[in-house]
Amino acid sequence: MAALTVGLGRLGLPERGNWRPIATYISSKPCRQILNRSSMQLALEPASLSTAVSYPREGYSRPIPLFAIVLVALAVHGPLLLMQLPAGSFDTNFHIFFASHYAHHWFDPWNEKWFAGFSQTTYPPLTHQWIALLSNVFGLKMAYMVVQLIGVLLLPVGVFRFARIWVDDRSASHAALGSVFLGALAFLVYQAGQLATVTSAALYLNALPYFYEWMTEASGGSLIKGIVVSWTAAAAHHVTLIFGLVLFAGPVLWVAWLDARDERVPGSVAGVISRAMIFALLVGAGVAMVLAPYWLALIQHPIHQIPIPHDSRANFLLNSITGINYFVIPYGALILALPFIVIRGASSPRLRPLLIGFWITFIFGLGGTTPLPRLLLGRAYEILTFERFTFWATLMAMPIVGVLVVELMDRFHAKAAAGLALAAVTTLGAALWWLAANPFRPAGTTDVDPVIAFLNRDGHDAFRYITLGFGSELAKVSTYANAGSVDGDYNSARLLPEMTHYGSAQLTNAKFYGSSGMAALRAMLSHANRYGLKYIFVHDPYYEPLLTFVGWRKIETFGSGQITAWSKDDVPPAHKMESDAVPAPWEGLLWGTVPMAVSLLAIFLELLLPVRRRIPVPVEVPARAEQPYVA
Amino acid sequence: MKFVLPIILVAATLVLMALAIFGVGQSAGTVGIATGSAVPGLGSKADTSEQALGSFLTDIRRRNWDRAYSALSKTSSVDEPSFIQEWTGSNGSLRTFSTLETYEARPLHATSDDAQMRVRMRWTTPVGPVEDVRDLNLKHEGDVWKVVWPKFTAPTVPAQVIPVNYLRWDLVNGGADDGWGSRNVDAPRVRIISMNAVDSSEGAVVMGEVVNEDTIPAFVNVNATLVDGAGKAIDDESSFDKIAHVLLPKQVSAYRIDFPNIGLKNVKNVRMDVKATLVPASADPVIGVMDQKVDPDAQGKSVLRGQLLNESGQTVNIPHVIASFYDNNGRVIWVSDGYVDRALLPQTSEPFAVEIPKTLASKVQNFHVVVNQYSLGKS
Amino acid sequence: MQPKNLSDHSVLDKSVLAPAAQPASVLDDSVSADAVLKDSVLKEDFALKGRGFKPRRKYRKIDRGLSRCGRILAATRMQPWLLVWVLGANLGQVCAAQDIHAPTSVPAGEDTHFTTTGSDKATFYLVGPGVSSKSDVELAQGVRIPAQSVRNAGNYLAILCSDTCRSATFYVTPAQPATLTLRVHPSRVPVGQNDAVSGVALPFDQFHNLVIAPYEVNFQLTSGNSSVMSRAVRTLSGIAWFRTSSGKNTGILQVNAALNAVTSRRAVQQVASDPCNLRIKGQRTSKGIMVETEPVRDCSGNPVPDGTIVTFTASSENTKSSVDAPIKRGIARAQMEAPGATTISAASGVVMGNDLRIGAQP
Repeated sequence: MAALTVGLGRLGLPERGNWRPIATYISSKPCRQILNRSSMQLALEPASLSTAVSYPREGYSRPIPLFAIVLVALAVHGPLLLMQLPAGSFDTNFHIFFASHYAHHWFDPWNEKWFAGFSQTTYPPLTHQWIALLSNVFGLKMAYMVVQLIGVLLLPVGVFRFARIWVDDRSASHAALGSVFLGALAFLVYQAGQLATVTSAALYLNALPYFYEWMTEASGGSLIKGIVVSWTAAAAHHVTLIFGLVLFAGPVLWVAWLDARDERVPGSVAGVISRAMIFALLVGAGVAMVLAPYWLALIQHPIHQIPIPHDSRANFLLNSITGINYFVIPYGALILALPFIVIRGASSPRLRPLLIGFWITFIFGLGGTTPLPRLLLGRAYEILTFERFTFWATLMAMPIVGVLVVELMDRFHAKAAAGLALAAVTTLGAALWWLAANPFRPAGTTDVDPVIAFLNRDGHDAFRYITLGFGSELAKVSTYANAGSVDGDYNSARLLPEMTHYGSAQLTNAKFYGSSGMAALRAMLSHANRYGLKYIFVHDPYYEPLLTFVGWRKIETFGSGQITAWSKDDVPPAHKMESDAVPAPWEGLLWGTVPMAVSLLAIFLELLLPVRRRIPVPVEVPARAEQPYVA
Repeated sequence: MKFVLPIILVAATLVLMALAIFGVGQSAGTVGIATGSAVPGLGSKADTSEQALGSFLTDIRRRNWDRAYSALSKTSSVDEPSFIQEWTGSNGSLRTFSTLETYEARPLHATSDDAQMRVRMRWTTPVGPVEDVRDLNLKHEGDVWKVVWPKFTAPTVPAQVIPVNYLRWDLVNGGADDGWGSRNVDAPRVRIISMNAVDSSEGAVVMGEVVNEDTIPAFVNVNATLVDGAGKAIDDESSFDKIAHVLLPKQVSAYRIDFPNIGLKNVKNVRMDVKATLVPASADPVIGVMDQKVDPDAQGKSVLRGQLLNESGQTVNIPHVIASFYDNNGRVIWVSDGYVDRALLPQTSEPFAVEIPKTLASKVQNFHVVVNQYSLGKS
Repeated sequence: MQPKNLSDHSVLDKSVLAPAAQPASVLDDSVSADAVLKDSVLKEDFALKGRGFKPRRKYRKIDRGLSRCGRILAATRMQPWLLVWVLGANLGQVCAAQDIHAPTSVPAGEDTHFTTTGSDKATFYLVGPGVSSKSDVELAQGVRIPAQSVRNAGNYLAILCSDTCRSATFYVTPAQPATLTLRVHPSRVPVGQNDAVSGVALPFDQFHNLVIAPYEVNFQLTSGNSSVMSRAVRTLSGIAWFRTSSGKNTGILQVNAALNAVTSRRAVQQVASDPCNLRIKGQRTSKGIMVETEPVRDCSGNPVPDGTIVTFTASSENTKSSVDAPIKRGIARAQMEAPGATTISAASGVVMGNDLRIGAQP
């Protein structure tokens, strides 16, 4: 309404005049039916209006083409991924390890290389299976980069489409462009290596507009595509789906309800609710089927392990470096926009659901800085890590940030563009700089090839091994060594009592979990004979006293003494460990076909059923915002 | 709503943050990674002696040495490098590998001007958790409490020449064609000379002594399997770090094998298995165990304490004490072990103490201590 | 032609000669048969089938027969020697046109001549332990088997094929002993131990065949210049062994085994036994008490090796001190702290020494 008032004022009509009744009339449904889309958009969007009047020929007054945004994403992240920058991240080798197993045993999710045997049905397979598939062309590591790049390219598309639920095309395009430079995205891709989280979030953002369209317009095509893309997102990452349902879909449902109530959309309130339920039921049923082996594994072995410390659960106010790592770097320049997000989000009724969703996600992203996540999540609080919530919060903020960008550019033009570009590049640059500067960074890349060669020669693979001080390089060793390990880099798959009874994650990082970590390591070493654990590779002298005192001897040195191999003489060869967690053959078949089929179906549907142009529902700017707001 | 909602959200955020700082417990974090300090103004105050000590130890835990040193009383006669060295250790000792994980403090006495606190510190180390009990004095200076830190005197070794006969065994593997045949050298002969199985509060314990009867060094592991009445194995465990694995000729070591959560009532037999391997070894360093005696400690527990004296010319980075206790029949009734967190420099001594279970303290008639050791670069 | 002597030669079942129901390439799928034929001439002829190679006409019958054998073996996972037996049994049945006469036994590594009947050309196959060969022969001239084809002792199968195939078996016996393998246990033995040293000798011919025929092996044990034991033992099934006590003196115990001119030697390290009469002495120094042993010897008077641990224990009224000191140059010594009246004892392993009582320091 205020936008309309301002817009009319800029057309030369009295600025201080009472235009509200006129604006109210124009905003009403009968009037909207008369006005065509472009005039409606012009009338309701102050920024567009003012731009159209004052700067009709300037490029930044129009929405940025989505193709151009994708090209920017490709230009920014393509080289970084081509340089394999994520190779040193925490989880990249983990994903490659999983993919490597699918590359060799597509239909057998039982992997004996970690934890003396574990089921890969404990982690959704889609991204790993795509890596496995592409590895035939690119090799494992580059296939990972390609899949990650696809996820990164899908993200601005998803942000654009998600933002259009809330704001106009121009703001949405700026939101999408901004998402390319998110610190949280760089954090997850290059520092954390959370391939599945990023890909799933991108897919989920792409599914939400279909959800909205289905609820408000009862479009069958949207229903089908929304469901299939949601299944695909679930096949990529389950946690994103579970929390996305509440944090992302909740506000969308709310705004659809508001739009129906205010007759901004054709559907009725009852229709919106009923269609939302149908959508939820179909998605739920599909996810149950797509990830059936996962749910079965979870039911059979619920996660009962002792909580594992993670610094994302720390209080950022009391741990400044943790705060920088999990708040300042992921948010970057968005921190400056927080007041605008809150005020503008609260000012518009349509943006309020998004604001509430953002705030809850924001609070969750603060980890232990507030008690809310612990209170709401209960035991799950000690299992989850919270950097992903920060990522989601930034994504949810982007539509409102898009509005901010438009307003700044309308007001300050080139200066705003330069400032915003600087802020975006600084945010991304800071996240990349932090890769090398932060104390949480993974240990520098180690040449583990001699370790792999050792394990693959002279029958050494008849025994199991562990690494100490290898960090994420453990997964790299496991990918290429034939021998199995009792350790592993995936907490949820651990079933060995020596690991689940202690509050520590990987044995290779035992020292970082204090007494619990070392207790787990001691427990495992004391049962070395039971597991055929004969070789230990040490990349941190910290562990040498323990190995000496408990009866292991140094037998070989690699890489100028950086890595040493230790052995115990009386260990019998490893034998297959009996486990009730071995998936049934039909589960392997399901796991190997359905997730991939669903993703292919999603691609097929996107190509087959092109996006129908949606009548945009513009942002309603509060009447008071006659003076342009500057954050 | 456009005014109210932002206010509500901001207020709720601030309240939640305040609750987390002052009301709700913190999650454990990873150890050994700098997580930084509290945002200025949110750190602990030192208005009481407990707060001052808590803040001081938190800084120690986070290795914020400057802040910790600034919390010392001006009456403390220690310079900052010495203060840091006392906490971080030196000469590759166990303390250099250790990180303060948790602590508990309780006041022993307090007045308005000074206080004495007993601190039980739990360190995480590569060889397991190590507890350290220390009494600290605090003084009220101005508005705040400060920790009085005594002067720390690091052991110094005078310049001297210590004659060493390098007595060590190296291992040369022969071929099939030489006079020793393809089997090369037989494994050392090692024998278990005593074994005793008892129930303890944490499960069954099998212990005893093992001797290297050979003329060459042996690398020894003792394993035990508990067998039930049907001849079925209940559990098998090894001596782990409760043994000196490298035994020189005629050397005797105690061993202890723990079976957590298993009672002896179902055990009909214990199958012992000692594995010995020929390894290169050195007869140095020689460590004497002096002034051994059983005493009650400050907490009333019976401990065997003494001094380790390094009689050789090389530094022992981490000494490990294994003590076997005998009853009046000469039977091994318990085996305790403990690590010394300071390095044993040549010709110097360091104190040690190992605990004796309360129930067994009265039965102990004799004891024998073996010193195991770790020296950097000599694994 | 009808078989002449069914006891010596068997005729290959005619049914085997019928066209095989399975394609000939079945043989290539048979692991067992493939393993037997590996590296053999037969394999060379049949291996190309999968690439469109057609066996020469004269091999087609045996091809079909072997295919069937291969399938049977693949199904039953029978041992390779069973293939030999099956081949012999079946191929013999079709060999009626010519005959082959082999001696019952042949010494390993010697040229051998088999007489044959017939006048045509034929193909001769020889299958034995680790050996398979094929050659063209003139039936009128007999078959000469070169020495290198019969080096391995064991049963051999000779097959002669012309229009039909005939076979004969013979045994290759080991040649004269050429080497003597000697195993002695242990490698290290304390002196003065009864039945502590044992040895086993096994004669082999020059082709590494165990010589089973009985031979006399002379065992001689010498320590320094003195003889500890001399004994002649006859091999039984190719094995001769002895057991004896260790000597009185430390040092190398040489074990010689001789079979005619063939000899073998091994060495056993004789080491000192447990210390005997461990005696210590001590004196006060500025640092405490310096205590040391007299030269430590076993009960035979041999010095105990350096590095052997002697545990010194100093007990006073309230405290105890102990040092595990290694023997160096025959003597173990340690510095003890004992301010008061002290009793010092020594032990090495399970052997105790004398006690030393030292009064309080004035």
